[in-house]
Amino acid sequence: MTGITALAIHLPRLRLQRAAMAAAMGWLCPRGETRGARTLADWDEDPITMAVAAARACLAQAERNGVPEARTAVRALTFATTTPVFAEPQQAALVHAALRLPEATRTQDVGGTMRCGLLALHAALESSEPALLTAADMPLNTPGGTAEMRYADGGVSALVGCGPDLLTYRGGASLSAPFIERYRAPDRPLATDWEERWVREEGFLDLVPRAIAEALGKAQLSAADVDHFVLPCVIPGAAKAVAQAAGLSRAKLAQPLDLECGDTGAAHALVMLARAMEDMRPGERVLVAQFGQGATALVLEATDAISAFPAAASAVLADGIAEANYLKLPIFRGLMPWERGLRGRFPVNEALTTAYRNAEALLGFVGSRSPETGQVQFPPSRLAVAETGLFAETQQPWPLADLGGTVATATADRLAFSRSPPNCYGLVDIPGGARLMMDFTDPDAERLSPGDAVRFVFRIKDLDERTGFRRYFWKAVAAPAPSAAA
Amino acid sequence: MANGIKDKVAILGMGCSRFGERWDVGQEELMAEAYLEALGHAGIAPDQIGAAWYSSHYDDIGAGKAGTPMAQALRLPNIGVTRVENFCAGGTEAFRGAVYAVASGAVDIALAVGVEKLKDTGFAGLPPASRGTFAPMYLPTHTNPGNFAQLARAYGTRHNISAGDLKRAMGHTSMKSHANAVKNKNAHLRKAITVEQAVNAPLVADPLGLFDCCPVSDGAACAIVTTPEIARSLGKTPVLVKAIQLVASNGWEVQSSSWNGSYVHTARIAARRAYAEAGIADPRTQLSFTELHDCFSITELVTLEDIGLADEGTAWKRMLDGAFDADGAMPSQVDGGLKCFGHPVGASGLRMLYECWLQLTGQAGERQLANPSLALTHNLGGAPAQNVCSITIVGAA
Repeated sequence: MTGITALAIHLPRLRLQRAAMAAAMGWLCPRGETRGARTLADWDEDPITMAVAAARACLAQAERNGVPEARTAVRALTFATTTPVFAEPQQAALVHAALRLPEATRTQDVGGTMRCGLLALHAALESSEPALLTAADMPLNTPGGTAEMRYADGGVSALVGCGPDLLTYRGGASLSAPFIERYRAPDRPLATDWEERWVREEGFLDLVPRAIAEALGKAQLSAADVDHFVLPCVIPGAAKAVAQAAGLSRAKLAQPLDLECGDTGAAHALVMLARAMEDMRPGERVLVAQFGQGATALVLEATDAISAFPAAASAVLADGIAEANYLKLPIFRGLMPWERGLRGRFPVNEALTTAYRNAEALLGFVGSRSPETGQVQFPPSRLAVAETGLFAETQQPWPLADLGGTVATATADRLAFSRSPPNCYGLVDIPGGARLMMDFTDPDAERLSPGDAVRFVFRIKDLDERTGFRRYFWKAVAAPAPSAAA
Repeated sequence: MANGIKDKVAILGMGCSRFGERWDVGQEELMAEAYLEALGHAGIAPDQIGAAWYSSHYDDIGAGKAGTPMAQALRLPNIGVTRVENFCAGGTEAFRGAVYAVASGAVDIALAVGVEKLKDTGFAGLPPASRGTFAPMYLPTHTNPGNFAQLARAYGTRHNISAGDLKRAMGHTSMKSHANAVKNKNAHLRKAITVEQAVNAPLVADPLGLFDCCPVSDGAACAIVTTPEIARSLGKTPVLVKAIQLVASNGWEVQSSSWNGSYVHTARIAARRAYAEAGIADPRTQLSFTELHDCFSITELVTLEDIGLADEGTAWKRMLDGAFDADGAMPSQVDGGLKCFGHPVGASGLRMLYECWLQLTGQAGERQLANPSLALTHNLGGAPAQNVCSITIVGAA
């Protein structure tokens, strides 16, 4: 039986305080819950970058758990989101390139419902193919509404069928129903939600228990055999009511993480699972369910390896930086115009030919190494960098993404255009003698100084609102940070 | 075997427009302003010019590409006009082209013009420069204040200079150039400032504040060069070219972790070669004054060390002691420099030479130095980590 080999989450570090959201918009739309915070993706984070971050943590976790070949073993990659960055191209191809997975990988995007991540996991668990699943979401809701407070940004990645499993798959079921409680046309940024009592009574309480019953049947288990129950639901109390309706009398209800991060949409069932796994013991069974145009329920059983599962999700949840400025949300998400100055109006030349020719360097962060001098450099070039002399032997590809580096020079530039000024950047030295002028990102970017250790993250490099085009590259953030230790 | 450019070419005449926010004129009029002055000094007719070099960096907000904008603005007599572009070092590049043309014997008289019309962007500072298609895909959106702020931080760290001391030395650098520019009617900024004003100005890119940065200006400068023999036959006391060296980074600083970021690698190489070409053994005693590329106060401090006019790690102290003031041992930026004369990118290298020519021919008016004999210009294009650096030395015959 196949199972989950590794599971890791990624959350943006900004935690937008719900009290600040209420203070900004409460005069217009009285809010409900104002405790806690929701994650807020920085301007240069999106579902693609969050998926890459989670997948890198997931692959690193597998490597530490004795699956060093995980990266090369993967044969299928799914990217799940309800908030796709592009209608075209396929986004899994970008995630695939950033992770430097084998060329012979079956990549696909899935979406349409927040259940898409769990649906993809269900499909992977029913297959015998080593698969990497990434799910990341950035649900956008009307400013001032309750949904804006409840939903949040985040990503998760699961490695399936690649080696010693943390959780063994026992069985699962997915039901489909034309139950539409939330909708958004492709050209609209904001979703519309329908009345929540109806969603709870006719949706969750009817469909989820039936999916659970069917999954338990497939697993040849009874409701009393379930030790943990994971069900994301932004409606207070609904998950508990579903557990009761499904007869999961013994099961511990997984934390919704609503105060720490909010509901991360397509990622959230597995984000909650990652946190719940920290409390699981060998032999315990977890039922993971999610709702959306039907329901999916999967039954998994912890192996002995669960004892060594790191508390990485807790660390990521705790690694937030409180953000009290509500306006960062509508501005980062492009929901309102802002004064960027004439310096910020220059268009992005997508130069797709250049981008493809250099895709390995740009997306995979692969430099080169001179066979003659051993010098590592970025970007790769035909002739090796050197103070003097001609070194013309063809250079070898040299991946840099996981090496990290050291800040050589740094600045916080108040003149350069930035979507979150000041623009912080500097020269970064990378093992092997390489050096590159890089963007510094993260809320702490301004603190980086010469000598500081950095690690590299995949982020949005440029975006052009006029065309909708965006491109990606690697940036430096202070090291170590918890998601690196996931 | 090449024996360098020393004494092979003479400056016959020069011109320079008023620099500043020239809302009144465009690039064509700026070129004409500098050209007509140079033509008058040279005492020649346009049809005596055999070839021309034209430096302008921003073709998109200026007059466009190629040689035609200058040929048309100056109504040149259907001669060859070569447009050159080497970041902020373009002015010296144009001069080098003209000088080499004369030295080769291909023409008797050559023209070099640099111009930039920067105030048609709608915002302060330099516009983002085109970097092709690949570099923007990985390089940060950087500005020159940001690039040179990194130099300042690395210089301070390398030599254990406290942040306060470095700010004061940078403040003195700017204060001195402001004082000099008060005496220059063509300068963009003609207002004296105090060190305190400079130190307390708003930050642009830490640790560089507003007064650590030069303005960007509209302006043009022009040189007409010929052989020393022709210059003398025209009754001129020629200013002779002693050396021109131009050094381009090959990526070593920015792509390998060998360089410590506290100095400009190319400037050291260019200075060494220029002194050798000019036959200068001791620049501290042989040079009379310098015009350095003080795009930022820190650039001037670091350059003084890179070209050997101060020991490494000491320029900041000597600056505070007044060594580079107009009445100091080695005046620097007598005309106000980029800091106050202004910085029309493609023209700046020629503007520096204009001041050298004025001083060496005794035409510098109330800022005239006593008996200068040898002057150095340093014209830097790009960032400390990746640049084109040129050094020119000119002297009285």
